[in-house]
Amino acid sequence: MTGEQRTDPRLSGRQRTGAWLPTLRLVRLYAVGRRVPWALLATVVCAIGLRLTLLGHWDAYGALQLPLIFEAAVAVSIAATVAGPFGEPERVTGRWLPFLRPAVTVALTAAAVGLLAAAGTGGHLTGGTLDVLRNVAGFTGIGLLCAAAIDGALSWTGPTAYLVAAVYALYTQWHPPALTTPWLWPARPPHDLGAALCAALVFACGLAAITPRGARDRPGSPAAT
Amino acid sequence: MNIEITGLTRRFGAVQAVAGVDLQVGPGVFGLLGPNGAGKTSLLRMMATAVPPSSGRLRLLDRDPGRYGPRREIRRRLGYLPQNPGYYPGFTVAEYVEYFALLKEVPPARTRTAVATAIDRVELGDRRKARLRTLSGGMLRRVGIAQAIVNEPELLLLDEPTAGLDPEQRVTFRSLLRDLGQRATVVVSTHLVEDVAAACARVALMDRGRIVFHGTPDGLAASGDGQAAGDTPIERGYSAVLAQARS
Amino acid sequence: MSAATSAPAAADQRPAATRADLVVLRLLRLELRHNAMAWLLPIAIGLFWLTTYRKDMAQLPLWNLRAAGLQSGAVLDFAVPVTGAAAWTASREARRRLTDQVSVTARPRWARLLAPWAATTIWALVAYLGCAAVLYGVTEHQVGWGGPLWWPAAVGAASLPAFSALGFAVGTFLPSRFTAPLAAIAAFFLLALTTQPIHGSQSAWQISPIVTGPWDLGPQGVSATFYPFVPDLPIAQVMFLAGVTAALLALLALPAGWAGRSVRVAATGLTTAGLLAAGTAVALAGTGTMDAQGMIDIPALHNTADDQPLRFTPVCSDTAIPVCLNPAYAAELHLVTDTLTPLLDQLAGLPGAPTRILQTGVVLQQASNGVSARPAAPRASGTAHVFPLVLPDELPGPSMTAKGLASQLQDQLAQSYGPNLVARLVDYQPGESPAQDAVAKGLLLAAGLPGAQAPSSGPDRADPNPWPDLAPGTPAYAAAERFAALPASTRHAWLVQHLAALRAGRITLAQLP
Repeated sequence: MTGEQRTDPRLSGRQRTGAWLPTLRLVRLYAVGRRVPWALLATVVCAIGLRLTLLGHWDAYGALQLPLIFEAAVAVSIAATVAGPFGEPERVTGRWLPFLRPAVTVALTAAAVGLLAAAGTGGHLTGGTLDVLRNVAGFTGIGLLCAAAIDGALSWTGPTAYLVAAVYALYTQWHPPALTTPWLWPARPPHDLGAALCAALVFACGLAAITPRGARDRPGSPAAT
Repeated sequence: MNIEITGLTRRFGAVQAVAGVDLQVGPGVFGLLGPNGAGKTSLLRMMATAVPPSSGRLRLLDRDPGRYGPRREIRRRLGYLPQNPGYYPGFTVAEYVEYFALLKEVPPARTRTAVATAIDRVELGDRRKARLRTLSGGMLRRVGIAQAIVNEPELLLLDEPTAGLDPEQRVTFRSLLRDLGQRATVVVSTHLVEDVAAACARVALMDRGRIVFHGTPDGLAASGDGQAAGDTPIERGYSAVLAQARS
Repeated sequence: MSAATSAPAAADQRPAATRADLVVLRLLRLELRHNAMAWLLPIAIGLFWLTTYRKDMAQLPLWNLRAAGLQSGAVLDFAVPVTGAAAWTASREARRRLTDQVSVTARPRWARLLAPWAATTIWALVAYLGCAAVLYGVTEHQVGWGGPLWWPAAVGAASLPAFSALGFAVGTFLPSRFTAPLAAIAAFFLLALTTQPIHGSQSAWQISPIVTGPWDLGPQGVSATFYPFVPDLPIAQVMFLAGVTAALLALLALPAGWAGRSVRVAATGLTTAGLLAAGTAVALAGTGTMDAQGMIDIPALHNTADDQPLRFTPVCSDTAIPVCLNPAYAAELHLVTDTLTPLLDQLAGLPGAPTRILQTGVVLQQASNGVSARPAAPRASGTAHVFPLVLPDELPGPSMTAKGLASQLQDQLAQSYGPNLVARLVDYQPGESPAQDAVAKGLLLAAGLPGAQAPSSGPDRADPNPWPDLAPGTPAYAAAERFAALPASTRHAWLVQHLAALRAGRITLAQLP
């Protein structure tokens, strides 16, 4: 009901700043609609949990598996933000969503890696920051693939199943038969190139899967909460 | 009287949704009109025992819904279609209606018949095995109506029941309403005054949480003056009563 | 829409009491058809195959190992998905915006919620029981003696309603898109965390359903083979899980308006009883001690009949010196016989040689730095020439595959068992006779055990034995090599003739052939 607005090429600095405001506001509203603040809160809680966990004395197996659980928890929280509450009305609006989806996911993943790595600073974080980066990215990639393939609300199924398999793969380092494929990257050392490539590939595929259409939702299905 | 309301209020935080409503409704079809935000849905949710009143007195089917036992008895005799009903997309039409029949404690021996009857009455007999995710918006609305009437309620509360129905379905639905109103109290909340004019014996008009008109559709139509907006007499009456209430 | 009518449902025409059981069954049938757990079963079964079945099948075919593997593995495989599925199912009314519609129906909220919980649990249980049946069925074909251990399987089964109830309660009270994933991960965290504080057998944390015995000991082959399976810990675990399940489910009836007064009173009682049962079970687990057979004894639950050794007829090899094992280890007989035969062939028919090798159990003891093991006294009577044997998979340590067992058996033979056998034959005494050293070494060399070292602590000698090293190039070593190079019949004939003198220390190196 309003007329089309044209952009004046001779905008002043203040006007240019003003032009960014709608974009920032869009990012904020997109994030709020997908419960990104809650995901961030969950990540902060996980980081605190990891920090508290690292205060304890664990055996070698526990020291490897406990950080992995927190990494999986932040990954499922990130994957849970992919589901959009508005469905088709939102999907048919302009060109921003294919940028917003991967951008917000990457930003959340980076924040999660940063928070977990910070939580591990000064503690005995087995594997160090590289391990956290690889595992969080890989877990998140699995969650994104599940969101795109199954349903946004069920995006957690893949990462949680993978967590059980990965922890078992860690266990087989002490108890044969060993599982040593790089596709079970959490069981490989942090400098293992094959494992890092597998995790990166899964994360990239996950991002690619959610970029064009977001999480899968079925026609007639009420929006996810 | 199947619905007796005295001084009923409902607050949601700082918002006063219903502000001292007095109402008595007997058998038949009763229309609840009002603009957006008038408090119709809040009043209907209280009548449906979905939310308790903040204050005031509410009696339904001669029972006090504030107490657990009587409330359960009321609910056995209640049908309710919310404004935005939810669905389990994986359920078929028959399963969805059966699910509500079981929750409403329809006697097991009558469940299958009741489900089939309710589905037939909303003319979805040929889609009874269709999954809800495959239905159109209008069909979903009819499924919602079927679940509301599956227990043949003595008190039927319908919030915007004709939203999404095509004109032909709306005409048929009004006929169903009149039929249901012969033996039950049916309260229909709607924006569509022509539905009220066609199907309701009595009508109340709400605005800002209060009832500003209570009478017959003809009485509402007669309230209109020559200057009120509207294409039909009842629309003009509706506009005039609202304007008067706000002046 | 049709205005065709049917008879109105007047209240007075309703039966006084509906057939509640039929209604519940119909509701359950609907829930079973549309339950999320059904869709997660491939994941749970896949995990079971990867982390439990595969691992169990790689272990030696012993009922106790397979049962322990089933309990600890399957609980993780199924508890995580069932917790997530239950939380997801419980939050569906809010997610699908059905709260108003269903909350105004006559069926009390707690009763309505029990149906999807039951459906989630039933799907998980059916899949778990199917997986357990396959694992036990395959084990039945591989194991010739003993029978399935049901208590570990029961603990696994009891875990699923408990974790389902946990997820369901969380999903009911905190419905959100984050609930299901975080509940599933939290369940895993809970299970992983509970095993970490266990040090020694007197730990209340042993109540964790993935604990199958003394945590420091690991899966133990010897338990429940020479003595009956002691179900004390599984009983406490089932009690704990049942208590938790009851308390969590009863919790659903406690909020005002979710159930009638009488139901809420009953639910309060059930919650209290459940918590008491769970608390008691935790306390009982804390009183457990590891018995000599590597199982947890809880005094308040212990049945002394379980302390009586099992009667069995050993399975023996058809060799010159029979090798006899507990029938539970029958599958290992061939391997053990093949490993021992080269040495036993050297000894067969000699005066003082063992007439039989008999497997014996071990006596385990909790020590400050773990678990120590020593061989139990052999129970065969009146046989001075019965030589005991403790298999490597009876000792505390990591789980073992058949390949690992063969390797460890060879090491055991070379490093302790073989030297001990020979030392016993020649009646070796420290520093007494170089000829004894040379003959013993020669027998080991002849048996293909060139790397055999002096016995340090064999199963029949409590203390380390200062067996002198025979360095290559020494006269004793040369005599040993010479003795080993003799034809078997010549060596045997010489030993028959001179073994008594050798034992008495009357043979010198020069007298050796």
